[in-house]
Amino acid sequence: MSTTTTKIATQDIADSILDPVLTPSTAISINNVTVSFKTPKGAYTAVKEISLTVQKGEIVSLIGHSGCGKSTLMGTISGMVKPSQGEVIANGKRVAGPGPDRGIVFQNYSLLPWLSVYRNIYEAVDSALKDLSKAEKKELVERNLKTVHLWDHKDKLPGQLSGGMKQRVAIARAFAINPTILLLDEPFGALDALTKSNMHVELLKLWNLDNREKTIVMVTHDIEEAIFLSDRVVVMNDGPAATIKEIVSVPLARPRNKKDIVHDPVYMNTHDKLLNLLIDKFSIDDIKE
Amino acid sequence: MVYFAAGMLLLLGMWDMVSRLTKGEIPSPIATWGTFKEVMTNPFQNDPDNKGIGIKLLSSLARVGIGFGLGSLIAIPLGFVLGSSRIAMNIINPIVQILRPVSPLAWFPLGLAIFQDSPKASIFMIFICSLWPTLINTSFGVSNIPQDHKNVGKAFGFSVWKYITKIMLPYSLPHIFTGLRLSIGVAWMVIVAGEMLSGGIGLGYFVWEEGFNGGSVGKILVAILIIGTVGLLLDRLFTGLQKRFTYAV
Repeated sequence: MSTTTTKIATQDIADSILDPVLTPSTAISINNVTVSFKTPKGAYTAVKEISLTVQKGEIVSLIGHSGCGKSTLMGTISGMVKPSQGEVIANGKRVAGPGPDRGIVFQNYSLLPWLSVYRNIYEAVDSALKDLSKAEKKELVERNLKTVHLWDHKDKLPGQLSGGMKQRVAIARAFAINPTILLLDEPFGALDALTKSNMHVELLKLWNLDNREKTIVMVTHDIEEAIFLSDRVVVMNDGPAATIKEIVSVPLARPRNKKDIVHDPVYMNTHDKLLNLLIDKFSIDDIKE
Repeated sequence: MVYFAAGMLLLLGMWDMVSRLTKGEIPSPIATWGTFKEVMTNPFQNDPDNKGIGIKLLSSLARVGIGFGLGSLIAIPLGFVLGSSRIAMNIINPIVQILRPVSPLAWFPLGLAIFQDSPKASIFMIFICSLWPTLINTSFGVSNIPQDHKNVGKAFGFSVWKYITKIMLPYSLPHIFTGLRLSIGVAWMVIVAGEMLSGGIGLGYFVWEEGFNGGSVGKILVAILIIGTVGLLLDRLFTGLQKRFTYAV
């Protein structure tokens, strides 16, 4: 009994990063994962011995400098990247490859340019949810396209859409297969600041519509975006052999208001903390050499 | 269009000059126009020993169509395999590299030996030379499918069939049409030579028999113009298809 208490206390301090124990509310558990790639110059280790647990319904951001392996780490959850060591458990099952329980929104939308908006989503639903009838699949596509306000554009090809619209199609596609885990790889990186803000709110709206039951893991390099959306922000060290530098909790109540939140002292503290973790030179005076 | 007309005028001018320099040995454009009208009377006349030029053209086109069609039916699926499997590519590529530079005419006697029939041998020749450009371009297209597209298939669990029809084929379609365009160009070029060897009904034999043996340079020129124009139209057809199936990302 006493050992359990000690364990929980340690867990609190370590912010639950080292906890490999599966509880019913654990959505994702990354256990001691290392990913190495073979390159012509020898093995390259992208991420090293990373452990991280994400609870059901939690929104977690992975943040770090370019090339720090955050997308690679995300890839081990989606099943697109195989860990060289360690394992990832998603929804109680060891990840062996991509699956319909985990929806992915890619960095550059990844819509198929020869398929209409409608077909892009339909083909994904058709493949991921084989057991549904044709009518049920069509209904799913229609409902999700209407949620992102793109039903009127359903017959257009992706090339005829703006960046924000394409990303909404990609998000609708990921939501349409109704995954319990949603993985977003720098989803708003290519959008302008205004479109980006709208997309943040739309994403949270979709999450709310689903009773906040979906677990979301997002890769980003945008501090404001990470704070506004997440419950926890995982800051990564620079690669190669990247590890977790620190996990910062975002204790802001939901629903969050984009305009009000920036004046909240909690927001400002979190922002400062993240900035300090990510950047060590703040003015030209800091550059010694 | 203006440039095309200017080019044609330049061609006619040079042609006329050559005609004057050879003192009519090469007929002038106007004289050739007379021969053209003569050749074009009753183009679809179908007497056993007096077939119209249209019948000859169609029979050449039919041979090209069959050989090219069969070649493409083999080349496109094989290109899919080569483009998606590095091992298959490494095994098949040397074979392609050895057979591709062989002059199409060299295949003719082989076809004759196999089929014992000269029209079939010319179809065989067209078949062989239609293979390579389509095969090479298709496999190039397939091997260049962007990782983004492949990821979509992986992430949503596309079946092999869905992957082929919804990702591989649409992505490589413009490359396939480039291959087909090059193939039909070669096929059309080769059929004339093939028919000179094989005889029978066709534009190649027309050039040889009625033009050269019949001593009418005018008919040779008419045939050259018809062959050139049909070749141009075939090329335009495939260029159009290629553009139609190219998508903006």
